[in-house]
Amino acid sequence: MADPKMRILVVDDFSTMRRIVRNLLKELGFANVDEAEDGAIALQKLQAGGFEFVVTDWNMPNMDGLQLLQAIRSTPSLAQLPVLMITAEAKKENIIAAAQAGASGYIVKPFTAATLAEKLQKIFDKMGV
Amino acid sequence: MSDANSSGDSSELEALFDSIAGGVVNSPAPPVVEKRPSLIRQAQESDDLTEDSRDLQELFDSIVAKNKVSAGTSGAGEESEGEWPTQKKVFTQVGQMARQLHDTLGALGYDKLIEKTVSALPDAKDRLAYIANLTEQAACKVLNATDVATPLQEELEAGAALLATKWDALYANNMGIDDFKLLAGETRAFLKNAVPQRTAATKEQLLEIMMAQDFQDLTGQVIKKVVALAQDLETQLMSILIDTIPGEKRTESVTSLLNGPVINAGGRSDVVVSQQQVDDLLDSLGF
Repeated sequence: MADPKMRILVVDDFSTMRRIVRNLLKELGFANVDEAEDGAIALQKLQAGGFEFVVTDWNMPNMDGLQLLQAIRSTPSLAQLPVLMITAEAKKENIIAAAQAGASGYIVKPFTAATLAEKLQKIFDKMGV
Repeated sequence: MSDANSSGDSSELEALFDSIAGGVVNSPAPPVVEKRPSLIRQAQESDDLTEDSRDLQELFDSIVAKNKVSAGTSGAGEESEGEWPTQKKVFTQVGQMARQLHDTLGALGYDKLIEKTVSALPDAKDRLAYIANLTEQAACKVLNATDVATPLQEELEAGAALLATKWDALYANNMGIDDFKLLAGETRAFLKNAVPQRTAATKEQLLEIMMAQDFQDLTGQVIKKVVALAQDLETQLMSILIDTIPGEKRTESVTSLLNGPVINAGGRSDVVVSQQQVDDLLDSLGF
């Protein structure tokens, strides 16, 4: 399993969803979690540095998750950052758009703790950690 | 469905507009003005106009009449006034169209519908805000309860694990008589105090979680009302759309990537309904 001290940013405009994801991550052994309530705030925090993983919603005000993902992939210092999308958007074109923009994983809401664990593991496996 | 009907309607409407616009631009003798009182009378007969809308109509009438007069008097000076007559024509025409729309909506009974919509929407908004509020409160209560209960469970787990290792040591003959007495005392205290206190406190949080679900009943009732309202509005707005939108416009659909949760996936092939389908789709694309 990956480094449990890994710093993770959880991005969602609903505080309850941020808390749920934070609790699930803690349950999986990742306690070093920070939160952002939209893509714009997330990007600021990411640019300040120190994050090794991003879990983001799609539909958010100011900057949505896809825009955040595109901004991350086009910023050289962040381009390699793994980005897991957890979203209610379930159209095939959404999933394809996210994959083409470079999403590391895609989870549709509502989701289970097991799904989150599985997708995280899959991403860590690909990263070789 | 009723393409023929609607195009018939819209060509009639167009003709009506043309006749009005023609009347404004070309002839100061207005066939429109003569027509108007009859429309008003129709509306009055069918709809029982309120004082307000009668006042409004008088205002409309007076403005339209004034425009007519000024259009008539300034007609001779068109050349010297440059662009102004054209603008005046546009203003007059817009005024005529607004008036016409008002009358048409009134005559068709849509004014009542729009009035109802305008009054129903804030109500629906309040109801939805109420639901958002209650569900958020419930989510917070539940998350708070788990935040309280989780450490209690962790303490029980840790306490039990500690005692278990000590008992293992005893069974492995690695414990003196004094240590054994100490262990017996610790175990007794754990069973008599630590465990019941924490299970009682956890139960309290479980009760809290259960009670937090009381929003379901309240929001359920409110949601049913909003759904009924939405259905009502949809039916009525659809009938306006069917009457007024040209056939070829109806098939245009809006494509967007921000749709929120899929509420009804039945019969749709453009959405996924499970995480498995997401994974399969991504696999099939080589991601």
